[in-house]
Amino acid sequence: MKNNRNRRAGSYSRRHVLQLLAGTACACCGSVHANKLAYDLTATEIASGTWAVHGRSEYFTLENGGNIVNVAFIEVPDGVVVVDSGPSRRYGEALLQLIEKTVPGKPVLRVYNTHHHPDHFLGNQVFDRTVIAAPQQVIDNILAEGDGFADNMYRLVGDWMRGTAPIAPGLALEGDSEEIGGRKFSLFYLSGHTSSDLVIRDDQTGVLFSGDLAFYNRAPTTPHAQIEVWQESLQTISALDRELILPGHGLRDDSGASIEQTADYLDWLHRGLSEAAASGLTMNEAMALPVPARFQSIDVVQTEYQRSVVHMYLTLEDDLMPLIDVK
Amino acid sequence: MINRTIKRIIAAAALVIISQVSTAGASSLPQDPLNSVMWENLAGRFFPGEIVIDQRVRVSAPHDAEDQMQVPITIDATDLDNVVEIVAIADLNPIPHILTLHPTRAQAFIGFRVKLEQASPIRVGVKTSDGVWHVNGVIVNAAGGGCTAPALAHGLDNWYKTLGQTRAITRRETADAARLSLRMRHPMDTGLAPGIPVFYLNTIEVTSPNGDELAKIEMFEPVSENPTLTLKPLVNDNISELLVYARDTEANEFRFSLPVSDTIDN
Repeated sequence: MKNNRNRRAGSYSRRHVLQLLAGTACACCGSVHANKLAYDLTATEIASGTWAVHGRSEYFTLENGGNIVNVAFIEVPDGVVVVDSGPSRRYGEALLQLIEKTVPGKPVLRVYNTHHHPDHFLGNQVFDRTVIAAPQQVIDNILAEGDGFADNMYRLVGDWMRGTAPIAPGLALEGDSEEIGGRKFSLFYLSGHTSSDLVIRDDQTGVLFSGDLAFYNRAPTTPHAQIEVWQESLQTISALDRELILPGHGLRDDSGASIEQTADYLDWLHRGLSEAAASGLTMNEAMALPVPARFQSIDVVQTEYQRSVVHMYLTLEDDLMPLIDVK
Repeated sequence: MINRTIKRIIAAAALVIISQVSTAGASSLPQDPLNSVMWENLAGRFFPGEIVIDQRVRVSAPHDAEDQMQVPITIDATDLDNVVEIVAIADLNPIPHILTLHPTRAQAFIGFRVKLEQASPIRVGVKTSDGVWHVNGVIVNAAGGGCTAPALAHGLDNWYKTLGQTRAITRRETADAARLSLRMRHPMDTGLAPGIPVFYLNTIEVTSPNGDELAKIEMFEPVSENPTLTLKPLVNDNISELLVYARDTEANEFRFSLPVSDTIDN
């Protein structure tokens, strides 16, 4: 996902063109495609007044429209708190409708963005920017890479992205907790999946929203990962008081198994690729190495493993291939 | 103005004639399994002579390029005997020719990384000593811009100081073949990024201590920044060292030697 550095000032991307078309689409395209692309979002109550909107355990495709992420919303006394906003404007609109249907008449008081990956924040457009909050580093990352992510999402999922533009949160979080609409939320500023990963705990229900620091039965993604830092963050999370974890991708986790599985997978990934790089295997040979049986049932593990080889191999080679005297 | 129009018409007519000639001459070409629009043109240019589509030429590449600046490719033609030349091209790159390997005394194997300007077939021709080209390939889906973006090195003030800095691993993989993986720091500028002239490593030679050529690579603009290459030179009992010579388009020269262990290290 390093396409952002190829954008040049003054060039029109496919995304810009589609955005322009979005404004005029109703006039000319008629009703044929009007209802074709629709996210079928459903809310699953995972704790009192707390709903998960589960995405599919897949990679981005033209069929799923980028709906591969777990988004959540919580009814608090005076309104609603949302954790992550999904992959597109269209998703954000569907999410708002679902919230209105589930918790009628209550205003959205806070939207958290756990980190800057596109499936977690590209629905921001439909919310009042002043209620969208994230750590300053997440905001900086969105400002730096959001455009490139949005372009790449148009390439990967196509027309689902129509009208989507990256919007950075209007509020930089500070402090280890905040009260929103009569409910206290604890905030944990961690990293490792990206350079800034926000973990949120609803102190009333004990639901811990781990963002993408924890995956469960869906393979972890590593485009911005620092594995050792990530492992430290998982240890931090495992020590936190909680009732259950909603991972960024995959199933809800009542036992802490998502932390163990993510840590186990990352450990294998790091060790295996280190050995491969140290023995001079090509990236393609490393990609062909077998995934252990205990990870075979994890969704999209082959795809994500191969992506991780590309993310991690250059750095491992630089660390593990010895320098040679050159004349 | 009229002159220009006439010139354009003549040019267009010439193009039509040329394309018809190449179509006529290509009638003996095997059908391209990758259905590339460039097949007839590139086959004539890079694989002159008899061509067979041959699954024994194994080309490994990811279906989707995660990073279009560093798309990993591994070519393994060790099921073919008497290989004299391996040519790798990216059909739809503005500069298609990636590299040519002469495995003089090496297995018909090479790993490298390539910049892709857009989704493209990666096509490999392996020439055997009877003059036949054994051709195979894969299609890699990619985002745009790999060849026209500046190298990451140009974001550094001091990239020139580390030019040619090399990391390498060698080990005896079988009784008579070594695995050599190396990375040389070089921006590999294509000349297509605005304001940055063409500048790339174009020659790498691997020889034995007594001067016998084991492998030679001619490299071109599409090879990724900081070329990372994997070769399998043949090393009999007497060879305990590989000598490497590299040169770029500005005639900078780099020489280094790499030890090969006596025992198999697998």
